[in-house]
Amino acid sequence: MEKMEFEEMRNQFAILKKQLDKQEIISNRLLRETMKAKRSSINSTERMCYVFVAIALLLTPLNFYTHAWGLAFSIVTCLMMLFCAAATYYIHKPVDDLNFLTDDFATVARVMAKFKKQYNQWLYYWTPILLIPWLGWACYDFGWKHAPEGVNPLWMCFPLLIGAVIGGSIGLYYHFKAVNAAQDILDEIQE
Amino acid sequence: MKQEEYFTQLVREHKSTIYTVCYMFSKDEEEVNDLFQETLINMWKGIDSFREESKISTWIYRVALNTCLLQERKKKKEMKKMPLTMDVNFFQDNDANSTQVRMLHQRIGRLGLVDRALVMMWLEGMSYDEIGAVMGISAQNVGVKLFRIKEQLKKNA
Repeated sequence: MEKMEFEEMRNQFAILKKQLDKQEIISNRLLRETMKAKRSSINSTERMCYVFVAIALLLTPLNFYTHAWGLAFSIVTCLMMLFCAAATYYIHKPVDDLNFLTDDFATVARVMAKFKKQYNQWLYYWTPILLIPWLGWACYDFGWKHAPEGVNPLWMCFPLLIGAVIGGSIGLYYHFKAVNAAQDILDEIQE
Repeated sequence: MKQEEYFTQLVREHKSTIYTVCYMFSKDEEEVNDLFQETLINMWKGIDSFREESKISTWIYRVALNTCLLQERKKKKEMKKMPLTMDVNFFQDNDANSTQVRMLHQRIGRLGLVDRALVMMWLEGMSYDEIGAVMGISAQNVGVKLFRIKEQLKKNA
């Protein structure tokens, strides 16, 4: 009975193949359209992250020269951004090296699981460790050191905190987008 | 041979394999068309990464399966939608052959995505080593998985 079942499947598969062999399926126009597609793809999100870091690195000395931030704070900010860019590169590299068209499922699953774990560690451990002291120091450098007489330094920090909220929201959006994409792929493979 | 000529020849030779994979992962003709076109684009983009040491049919299977399993289907519409040149619709036609093909589609469609891929390659007559190379598992593991799938198909019958 079991053998008959699979024999039947084989026969049905043979019918499908035979039917398809009679079909043209692909037109010249379809092929032309296909070959218009670009052959290289660029990870635009990651590139954008590096562009932002480069802009921020250029703006930080400007803040120092306009006396908004102290020298030590400016240097630490630059180092922190370089550290973040290096970490982003390190976390993304295995995924960038992955070839979804030629790598097998096991490799894809392993790399995506590692990426998800590292990216989550980055959000839950490294981001608070780096960002909270940096924000505190930024408020001190910008507010308490430069507040004119009679102005509450907290008000000086207000724009900084708004910037942090906007920046944080954008960061979280991209974080969860990347992690969810990795999870989707893992789910598909493990289904 | 120019890259374009090589690609055209490759696609024409393996069109039925590509169509079969797309068909088994689709619910209707429109989805088959979308997946077929996406697979062609991915083959075109990845043709440089094809290494001669692996069999071309294995590579094509891998590209087609990865496209069906991993692509975010709603995005990446880089080309105009174009119907495939076919005078048969396996989803709708009621002749004997199409009915048989539809029965196969229903049987395989009850399986999970990865199991579906394994069964298709087995039906295609690929060796356990070739299937393992596509899936990234050992030939022995392929045998074990196929045995379980056959058991499942038997229960579903």
